[in-house]
Amino acid sequence: MTKRVSRRDFLKLTAGATVVTGLAPSVRRMVLEPYVQPPEEVLPGEATWYASTCRLCPAGCGIIVRVINGRAKKIEGNPHHPLNQGKLCARGQAGLQILYNPDRLKNAVLQSGGRGSLKFEPLYWSEALDILVDKLETLSNPNRVAFLGGLMPSHLYKLTTRFLSSFGSSSPIIYDLHSALEGRNSTVQLSESLFGSPELPIYDLANAEVIFSFGANFLETWMSPVSQSHAFGTMRQGQLGGRGFLVHFEPRLSATAASADEWIPIKPGAEGYVALAIGRIILEERLGQASSHRPYSILYQNVDVQEMADASQIPVEVLHRFARIFADADQAIAIPGGGLAGQHNGGTSMLAVQALNLLSAQIGRVGGVFLSQPGPTAGFRQNPNPGSFENLSILIERMKSGEIDLLLIYGTNPVFELPTSAGFAEAIASVPYVISFSQFVDETAARADLILPDHTYLESWGYEVPAPGAAKPAVSSQQPVVRPLYDTRSTGDVLLAVAERLGGQVANALPWSDEVDFLQELATELHGSSLGAYDAKTPSSFWALWRQYGGWWTEKEIPREPDISTIVQEPIPVSEPVFDGEENSYPYHLHPYPSITLSDGRGANLPWLQGAPDPMTTVCWGTWVELNPETASSLGVSEDDVVRVISPHGELEAPVVIYPGIRPDVVAIPVGQGHEQFGRFAEQRGSNPIALVASITDPETGSLAWGATRVRIEPTGRKKSLARLESLAGEGRESIG
Amino acid sequence: MKRFWLIGLFILVVVGVIAGVILTRVQVYAAPEQPIAYSHQVHVEAGIQCLFCHPSPLKSPLAGIPSVQKCMGCHNVIDTDNPEIQQVASYYESGEPIPWIRVNLQPDFVYFNHQPHLGAGLNCETCHGDVGQMDVTRQTVKMDMGWCLDCHINQSDEKVGRLADCLACHK
Ligand code: SF4
Repeated sequence: MTKRVSRRDFLKLTAGATVVTGLAPSVRRMVLEPYVQPPEEVLPGEATWYASTCRLCPAGCGIIVRVINGRAKKIEGNPHHPLNQGKLCARGQAGLQILYNPDRLKNAVLQSGGRGSLKFEPLYWSEALDILVDKLETLSNPNRVAFLGGLMPSHLYKLTTRFLSSFGSSSPIIYDLHSALEGRNSTVQLSESLFGSPELPIYDLANAEVIFSFGANFLETWMSPVSQSHAFGTMRQGQLGGRGFLVHFEPRLSATAASADEWIPIKPGAEGYVALAIGRIILEERLGQASSHRPYSILYQNVDVQEMADASQIPVEVLHRFARIFADADQAIAIPGGGLAGQHNGGTSMLAVQALNLLSAQIGRVGGVFLSQPGPTAGFRQNPNPGSFENLSILIERMKSGEIDLLLIYGTNPVFELPTSAGFAEAIASVPYVISFSQFVDETAARADLILPDHTYLESWGYEVPAPGAAKPAVSSQQPVVRPLYDTRSTGDVLLAVAERLGGQVANALPWSDEVDFLQELATELHGSSLGAYDAKTPSSFWALWRQYGGWWTEKEIPREPDISTIVQEPIPVSEPVFDGEENSYPYHLHPYPSITLSDGRGANLPWLQGAPDPMTTVCWGTWVELNPETASSLGVSEDDVVRVISPHGELEAPVVIYPGIRPDVVAIPVGQGHEQFGRFAEQRGSNPIALVASITDPETGSLAWGATRVRIEPTGRKKSLARLESLAGEGRESIG
Repeated sequence: MKRFWLIGLFILVVVGVIAGVILTRVQVYAAPEQPIAYSHQVHVEAGIQCLFCHPSPLKSPLAGIPSVQKCMGCHNVIDTDNPEIQQVASYYESGEPIPWIRVNLQPDFVYFNHQPHLGAGLNCETCHGDVGQMDVTRQTVKMDMGWCLDCHINQSDEKVGRLADCLACHK
């Protein structure tokens, strides 16, 4: 029954309500809760700052967290930390919303309604561990368990590897999209083949006079953006009397490209050609320090400058100008970035770029290329280097053919992060039992039978060796800044408890009572080193300082020159990029790029990051398709028109942003949105361009060529307005939403 | 006739407002009901100093309220048969904080700091009244801005500029 209220009655009611409200007591009742057991040295109302490590991306910046009355309130950069020196990026700031996220799992759960049902039944931890132990004990062969990891704290990687090897299984397979977009795996392989050392090089940007960045978004997400931005600031403030010179090669104007002195909208896959041509010209014309050229002339034997100019669509005169700029500078660096690694010819292009540093003798010189010096921290550096896509494909095949009975997943979300064509979703369905350690129900955890949620990073212990490192040998430590909010449990402790129950070899390999015991033993190895920024009288006071400082680092910088004595002198191959999709039916290159806020999608459940506008387009809370004005008019679409982007492997729909900063033959879409699961802020918002990507790999490195897919575009005739602060057409501020 | 109604309505509103003001005042000074019948008087008469239980006004913005652990420090042995004390013990055992109701409250836009007030030589009872005589704790002064300023503007010339500044309390 509905009762209609007349206007007169409504007014009477309103007047009555106002009088009654006015009479209500104006005193608020407020509950004042004391500590049950106060933490030591806590002064009510005064902030305590705890030092720890940011875990929003693999860089490993040092953080300090302001805690009042047991609640974490604000994250800042650790001013003493040699990597980020007190600075922090937007993602690092937003970490608080992981801790307080309303969609966190609050205890161990069993997906009782079957996989994908999202019907969860809470479990006591003892029951959950029983299941895990039972699954491990009943395996017919230890090789039938696989551990798939993403961004893992180093101590957990160490414990997991020990656990698996003593159990007789193979090491964890590490793969995540963020690392793939940065080209971590290809970069490590390149360093190994050139310098004999499988690690990420450090580019001394602060002291460089000229930087040629080939697809390296070093001010946004690539490698260690906070420390690189800091170094870039130093370079710009003219250490050497000038303001430095940055040339950025990328098909799209990224925020890094926008900070450059020159942006070259390079044809996708042609970056290597430019580097080869520049090298060849330097040699031919004996530019710069000609004395250092001789050993490298053989590298450029196969290069024809005119051919390179034609292939890259960059005129010979421009290439000559770049060669001169690069060779004439006292300190010039060329950086092979993630954009290169995502091409079918990525390995050779990256080699061509790194060769420029050899040619200009910039390896191991101020303003050049270094490796990070482990010093006394060598024992900590069993760092999980992300594996190649090819490695992961082997696991996917094994899963499909029924060779895996138990899959354990930590810190990665392959169902979302891998191209649909990689077939992970089908493969996981053929694994009899899947256990996830995720704190959230993401796309992969939704396909698990059991979820054993780890604490968030602000509630947990650990350490990380920053990679790429800083100029000082460093280890960042991680400690809980607040007590765990819920009944979650650290995965390290879960492994140790399981090892104890399994007994025998596994228990012997993991003798620690908990992870803190393990960490304390490891950290105090550094006690007594004369190189440290601090030292303590006893191991236990060292452990206190380790937590107080947020890690350990040396007092002075200790540079490490890469060893180039073993470089094989052979011509650099000129390899053509290969693309998936016929040019006639798929005329555009798809350029997926990591979002500066959501990165590879792991930030999509944090509203602060969703609401932070993209620096170039000012769009927030959604996915958009960037089209050159020329392309847009040829398709007959305008701003906010929804288009369908179709690749041979899938399609998505999103509104158009007309963007002059992109090549007409390229379509750019940011990565990060399009989650089906992952909490209320991420779900059913935007689309995931990675789903469209072909699973082709670079034959040199085995990395996913995520930039080598062609697409076509169809207008849908619909419009959907994006939430953005400003339009690029100069229309000034517009409303959000 | 209409006029009669209007006067009637006017009187009603005036009475309502006056009643509201009185009720609010009564509410301010009324002692809120606490989860445990705690008596300050008993504790003060036993010789316990304010700063024993509220330890931080000399070094922090807040005076602090005692942790449940602190209560149990004495009540492990003292008056353990009292049902109210048993209630305190049960909070402690279950690890739950006691949900005390705040008696003295400043709104969110006021940044009050105990430390400088004690530093200036004020006693607890200047603002909180003679809590030692209260069986049930209640507010004795309405801590509004006029009351704060009564004191802040009656200071020496070199202090008054700083103390009467808006930003002294509204940051
Ligand atoms: S760069 Fe990475 S590690 Fe550093 S603050 Fe940003 S998200 Fe955190």
